[in-house]
Amino acid sequence: MNLYEHTIIVKQNLSDKQLEILKTQYSKIIEKNDGEIIKIDNWGLLNLSHEINKNKKGNYIHFKLKGCGLTISELEKNEKIDSNLLRFLTVRVKKFDLNKNYFKQETNATKKNWEKT
Amino acid sequence: MMKKKFNRNIKKNNQRKLSRLNLFMVPKFHLKKNCPLTGKNAPEINYKNIKLLKKYLSENGKILPSRVTSVSQKKQRELSLSIKRARILALV
Repeated sequence: MNLYEHTIIVKQNLSDKQLEILKTQYSKIIEKNDGEIIKIDNWGLLNLSHEINKNKKGNYIHFKLKGCGLTISELEKNEKIDSNLLRFLTVRVKKFDLNKNYFKQETNATKKNWEKT
Repeated sequence: MMKKKFNRNIKKNNQRKLSRLNLFMVPKFHLKKNCPLTGKNAPEINYKNIKLLKKYLSENGKILPSRVTSVSQKKQRELSLSIKRARILALV
């Protein structure tokens, strides 16, 4: 069993309900192919640094999962067909960094700035 | 008065030497810096840590060479890999 980090970029125009449906859909696929989900992070709507298929923003969802090569290949097979996704990336890691939140802090800071102005 | 003049001469000489230094000359002064990413309190290189990665990119988004940033060879390999991962996710 290996440890993987998997992130997907979803199109901007989807509603919150559709996002949750996508989340449950992919977590089911992972669990069917003897994988195990440890954590799901929502990074929220972020600006893309460059345009992807004429999209300027995207919703980021980050999975931390345990599994073998089969689970990843099955996941990516389904994601390639999905038209709601812009990109996906899987990275194998030796250790999860569960304490650090690189993207939650930024959203809090931006919220504070909004309140000030 | 004599001492002051003497000091000034030393300063002038040093400035002349610095201006004459080339890339290919072996510098007599200690110009080498330590790697900022190794050591005990060094930050972790990760494709999610955008703030750190942006320090090692030029204005046009190119990766800076290690001779400019004085990052060690081992850490430069990690850096370039994580920058390329962040590019795929359009974070950098």
